Amino acid sequence: MKDKKQITCDITVIGAGFAGMVAAARASDLGLKTVQTGNSSHLYFASGLFDFLGVYPLGSRTPIEDPRTGLELLQKEMPDHPYSKTSLETILKSFDFLARFLHSTGLNYVKPDKDNRSVLTAAGTFKPTCMMPETISKGGLLKKDTPLLLIDFKGLEGFCAGQIAAVLKKNHPYIFTLSVEVPGESGNLNPTYLATLFEDSSFLKNLATQISPFSNKVKLVGMPAVCGINKSLDILTRLEKMTGLDIFEIPMMPPSIPGLRLKNAFEKKLAGNHVHFLSQTKITSPQFNGSEFILNAVNQNMETQIRSKGIILATGRFPGGGLHAKRGCIQETVFNLPVYQPDERSLWHHLNFFEKQGHMINTAGVETDIVFRPVDTHGAVIYENLYAVGTLLAHNDWVRLKSGSGVSAVSAVTAVNDFYKKNTAGL
Amino acid sequence: METDVFIIGGGVTGTGIARDLTLRGLSVILVEKGDLNAGASGGNHGLLHSGARYVCSDPEAAIECAAEVKILKKNAAHCIEETGGLFVAVKGDKENYIADFPDMCKKSGIPSEFIDPKEAREMEPSLSDETIAAYKVNDASINPFKLSIENINDAVSRDACYLSHTKVESLKIENKTIVYARVRNQISGKTDKIKAKTYVNAAGAWAGNIAVMAGIHINMVFSKGTLLVTNNRIAKRVINRLRKPTDGDILVPGGVVSILGTTSVRIKSPDNIYPTVKEVDDIISEGEKMIPELKACRYIRAYAGVRPLVSMGSGNDREVSRGFTLLDHEKDQVNNFITITGGKLSTYRLMAEKASDIVCKKHQISMNCRTKTIPLPSTHSGEWSEPGVLATDLFKPNTQKDPFLCECEMVPTSAINTVIHSIKKNGGTSDLSSIALRTRVGKGPCQGTFCSMRILSHLYDTGEMTNQTGINDLKYFLNERWKGERSLLWGQALVQSSLKEMIHCGLFGLELIEK
Repeated sequence: MKDKKQITCDITVIGAGFAGMVAAARASDLGLKTVQTGNSSHLYFASGLFDFLGVYPLGSRTPIEDPRTGLELLQKEMPDHPYSKTSLETILKSFDFLARFLHSTGLNYVKPDKDNRSVLTAAGTFKPTCMMPETISKGGLLKKDTPLLLIDFKGLEGFCAGQIAAVLKKNHPYIFTLSVEVPGESGNLNPTYLATLFEDSSFLKNLATQISPFSNKVKLVGMPAVCGINKSLDILTRLEKMTGLDIFEIPMMPPSIPGLRLKNAFEKKLAGNHVHFLSQTKITSPQFNGSEFILNAVNQNMETQIRSKGIILATGRFPGGGLHAKRGCIQETVFNLPVYQPDERSLWHHLNFFEKQGHMINTAGVETDIVFRPVDTHGAVIYENLYAVGTLLAHNDWVRLKSGSGVSAVSAVTAVNDFYKKNTAGL
Repeated sequence: METDVFIIGGGVTGTGIARDLTLRGLSVILVEKGDLNAGASGGNHGLLHSGARYVCSDPEAAIECAAEVKILKKNAAHCIEETGGLFVAVKGDKENYIADFPDMCKKSGIPSEFIDPKEAREMEPSLSDETIAAYKVNDASINPFKLSIENINDAVSRDACYLSHTKVESLKIENKTIVYARVRNQISGKTDKIKAKTYVNAAGAWAGNIAVMAGIHINMVFSKGTLLVTNNRIAKRVINRLRKPTDGDILVPGGVVSILGTTSVRIKSPDNIYPTVKEVDDIISEGEKMIPELKACRYIRAYAGVRPLVSMGSGNDREVSRGFTLLDHEKDQVNNFITITGGKLSTYRLMAEKASDIVCKKHQISMNCRTKTIPLPSTHSGEWSEPGVLATDLFKPNTQKDPFLCECEMVPTSAINTVIHSIKKNGGTSDLSSIALRTRVGKGPCQGTFCSMRILSHLYDTGEMTNQTGINDLKYFLNERWKGERSLLWGQALVQSSLKEMIHCGLFGLELIEK
């Protein structure tokens, strides 16, 4: 028999990915009694970079510099896009809230500039983004002709300094590479394990000794984003002091350490804010009794009944499990909400994976009103206190627009604020 | 460059001819515009027909298949899995076909054994409970990639030369004789002249394009077939539908997966073909009648091949009245040129033998074909193309020092290095696509999401790649995998492809990179 528990709360956040975390952060910050369900390990897939709007319109060859001008155009041309339900001011406020919240956990992000910044990736490409951890930000010092040292670690797969150097060669001819052997390790080096080694001072000292000989050739050093899990900025700063060089992290394939840092930061702070987190749970048979939602949160060991006034649905798209595609149609998995989607499967994906217009399936999702409450096909709000946020929202090809974090943050903050405004009188 | 025989086409036929001719003492250069098995040789079921499928429609082909299968099982055993096969009929299938089947098998001398449907379902629990008839036959599965790799490796060991990514651009003809072929390397753009005494056109579906360069018209007809790969092996044996051959009626095991097919759609050109959503849905809806779990199981990939057929019209220029077409162009006023196309994977060796016989006659070599008796040697470089065979079965990686670069299919670093070495030995360049062709890399559930980047890094790490072409290589590789994925994206496969897009477009921004 599974244990059966009951809890009552103001608001339940279903989902523990990025949008769910922001929603729980905002809700607990406002003093709402908050329950959160879901699987936070999805954050291992988060790059740790917060995008606002990197490409607009789709099909353009270059990323946009100033997301504000892009936003203005998008709001004019894509009235259904989640950004068209909000304002520049609200988006910036949401980023600001996010930065403050993370700062209070000790995870420092560089606040948005007017223009997007480019972040060097493990593929040797540059990704346009809005906010990034301070450990990554010094990559901005990389200018044409800047002498640069790139470091990789033997056994850390998918990250090769020589590969990045080869791709960069055209614009950055002065690149040196260093392949660091980790003492006692000769096989596959797990990024999480490597990151923990950075928390050991003798490892750090040894690494500094290997970097130092380059200090008369370069001023800037790039390394994979594995510089410690906790206190990564402190560790990076120590390494900079030891070597006398500016150092930055380069994001790589999942499992992502900057994503893990986010996961840890959110989890720690949300627990401190008394968010009741029902880890690894799935919601089954949700009901609404006219005044509150009754949910069953189930995992291997227990079943918890949640009675909640409001719900923030932040279950994501296909990887998060918020949407499920059958052979012929796409469904929303918790409430079976109407899903905006292309007419038939042959329209879901383009023949070219890299088609610049993106794949039509990536516009699928839940449609909402301006405070992100799901609406039916006639545009009527389905439940007064049910909100859908993050990548679950329709009309946002966030991977191609580079708009994921911005839409998640603004929808989560807006939804929670709206619930708070409408319900505090009675709480 | 000069050689005795110049072969065009690196499919099973071309590589088979290369082996056959080197065994008879001739020197050979084989060019392929892509890489091994780029056409029909790579786009089929991997089925070694017992012949039973053809007993009603083409008894001659049936007999031929049965004889060849016997030879291959003996001489190329390491490329074959002796799965055995079943022919099954379900409720609603034509009674008279079912009734005639055993007699027709007997007439062609093809062994078939009646099995009680209940017993058949015990042998293959995935069969429908509406199975009404079943016969046991000698089908087997064969790995066409391994077959071509081993054939070319064996030829190269006798100094044959294999040039991948090399396209024939023109044939120079003087006095009813081809004097040289002009070829261009598709990667470097460099051209070269190749002089030979005899020219063999084994370009499969592209045979017509080659013949035209010698002023000869071959009336090619193209039939596209789409196949689906399941994530798990559904049945132990080859399962055929007991009815007149049509769409979606064969399920062939290939290691730890099963392959369901196929369709037959007339198309105008053999280039740029891909499986469509409709074909995929049609194949599944036919297949599930025979094996219900095909309806809900996970598919990891679809691919399409083109069967080259030659429409001869009237006249008596038909050299061989069978499934394949062998033309000596002497009668078209080009004396040192032959074309071989069409046919079946099961009879590739026989096709190579017949083509080689004509070549040898032209060279006044009396030695008989030796591929009938000499076993095809097994080399290490073909090992990793084995569909889904677990790494541990073939190769014991030291997981500490020899990490997997492809985790889905458990391909360790040492295996990749072996393949790189073999590509080098054959004068090729190692990139993601050439490695993927020779290994299981990228063929598992993640469809290249992770291993692509890992192997690319490994190529740079080991100095195999040094310039910035890696990004284009990565994009090309991922797009090739994509062709096989896009018609099958629902359920878990869609989750994986979304993840792939998140990493390669979301993070790396590859869609913004111009060539």
